[in-house]
Amino acid sequence: MAGPHRNLVRGYADELRLFGTPLSRAGLVALVAVFLLLPTVLHDDFWLSVLIYVGITAIGAIGLNLLTGYCGQISLGHAFFIGAGAYVAARVGGDTGLPLPLWLLAAALIGAVLGGLIGPFALRLRGHYLAIVTLGLIFIGEHLWRNLTPVTGGNSGTSVRAEPAIGPLDFGDLTLFGESYSRNQGWFWLVWGLVALVALLAKNLVRTRPGRALQAVRDRDQAAEVIGVRAGRYKIGAFMLSSAIASAAGALFGSYQQFVSPDEWNLLLSIQYIAIVIVGGLGTVFGSVLGAIFVGALPAIIDRYSEVIPGVRTSVGGEGFISVFALNQALFGVLIVLFLVLEPRGLAGIWLRTKAYFKAWPFSY
Amino acid sequence: MERVTEPPAPNPLLEVRDLTLRFGGVTALDGVGFAVRHGELFAVIGPNGAGKTSIFNCLNGVYRPQQGTITLDGRSLVGRAPADIAAMGVARTFQNLGLFGHLTLVENLMLGRHHLMRTGFFAGMFWWGRAKREEITHRAAVEEIIELLELEPYRRMPAGLLPYGVAKRAELGRALAMEPRLLLLDEPVAGMNLEETEDTARYLLEVRRELGLAMILVEHDMSLVMDLADRVLALDFGVAIATGEPSEIQHDPQVIEAYLGGAA
Repeated sequence: MAGPHRNLVRGYADELRLFGTPLSRAGLVALVAVFLLLPTVLHDDFWLSVLIYVGITAIGAIGLNLLTGYCGQISLGHAFFIGAGAYVAARVGGDTGLPLPLWLLAAALIGAVLGGLIGPFALRLRGHYLAIVTLGLIFIGEHLWRNLTPVTGGNSGTSVRAEPAIGPLDFGDLTLFGESYSRNQGWFWLVWGLVALVALLAKNLVRTRPGRALQAVRDRDQAAEVIGVRAGRYKIGAFMLSSAIASAAGALFGSYQQFVSPDEWNLLLSIQYIAIVIVGGLGTVFGSVLGAIFVGALPAIIDRYSEVIPGVRTSVGGEGFISVFALNQALFGVLIVLFLVLEPRGLAGIWLRTKAYFKAWPFSY
Repeated sequence: MERVTEPPAPNPLLEVRDLTLRFGGVTALDGVGFAVRHGELFAVIGPNGAGKTSIFNCLNGVYRPQQGTITLDGRSLVGRAPADIAAMGVARTFQNLGLFGHLTLVENLMLGRHHLMRTGFFAGMFWWGRAKREEITHRAAVEEIIELLELEPYRRMPAGLLPYGVAKRAELGRALAMEPRLLLLDEPVAGMNLEETEDTARYLLEVRRELGLAMILVEHDMSLVMDLADRVLALDFGVAIATGEPSEIQHDPQVIEAYLGGAA
């Protein structure tokens, strides 16, 4: 066990380190090891694909948390930007065969532009009213996705042939040091590598000037103005950044799934993201990832084990009182309510409390 | 009521002339004029609803007056956005605390330096380099204020959890972190006991001695005002009824009438 002197802060640079203590550095090493080794140990395609979807969801959730958790702007329109990203991947990545960094960047860029168009509404509206406007986005989106056939393939959907390749490194068909890996193994590394990157960028953002400004706008926007923070600029910035990240996540989603249809970007998807940031912890980057693991994995697991869960109907007209789909929907609702009432700081709050408990041990405060 | 207009002071820091603010049929400020000199501690007093906080809201751009001019070192403030006025060097504390409750004390003070910093969204995300250097430089500046106001024990505490007196001091610290030329203090000792009030007075004097800052103080605590202020402006129902040194104001018949009602 390291003595307290090891954690001594000798200057502001020390204090600002993300992994400043030996324990947190050990945790980081452990996470990297899990990241590198997990796909080689876990060959099951079902679990790998669940983890890949969870990773993509985590990226999108970080985006929503920057907007809702850090800047305090509620949005029900997150699914719209996810969808937009998937279509950018299909058209920019798939049709032209551009490499992954370019179609991912294109998706983020278009997401940012679309978010920037919504941003001005946030200057006029807040709370429930902003929620309604962003809700409208879902329905406008649904109309667009069904009718912009050249881009979206209309009602029947479109295949997404965006290749997950960076130069010679093709994550869809990975060969490293003479060893070849399956599509799911490659995608796991790609997606979780990107989760780490996005989380790091987001964490850097929230601990510097722009991130503090976002939080100031959330806590008291008028006081923020009076001390020199241009609240409007930061609200629009938060919308642009959040939708850019959502679109990048959507592009990954489309590319991994290889086919997308217009009814995937519905209100339920937006609510799933809201459930994730609430369960994970509003205003924490880390919580977005925890929430995505917890909430994002649930539907897949319920689906897989629906036969052994009592009362769940697995086929139309089968036995049981609730369908898999309805059970998932109900669970999101129950989770949101339970966390808001019992643990408003989410899983991240539980984690921080546990950490504080062990830090103070054997004292209870 | 008789209106007083001061003879214009030579080269003032802040000059307010004929300031009039109406909300529908209510006239909150009616032709108020005053000037604040460099390094002066100027107090604004008056009964509840006299328009003291409205003056502040006009000065930092929250309200836009219907008439009148406000100039800071010759530059007009009327019609500018609050954030612009903050960048021009006007800082303010709020009557009911304007701290950001979920942010720590250090983060609140760092926000005071927002307009002195440059890091944008991209530079912030890519921490290494400019963003990090800027954080360290400004963190050091914030530390000086923490020391000046003796806030060391509370650095990492969320502002929402600070004891009331400390929160008031933290808000003063955030205003000082802005490196203002003019500091607006809206009831800095409201709700404080005698000891806390005396502490605050001591901090204000120290700030004044160290930084030579011009301040406008809105306060109900008359003993504090009379002890600290260089000059005092008395308001009643939005009208300036007297301006002068504390001793003059204390004996001004109109001020006594405004506070105690009808001629005794």
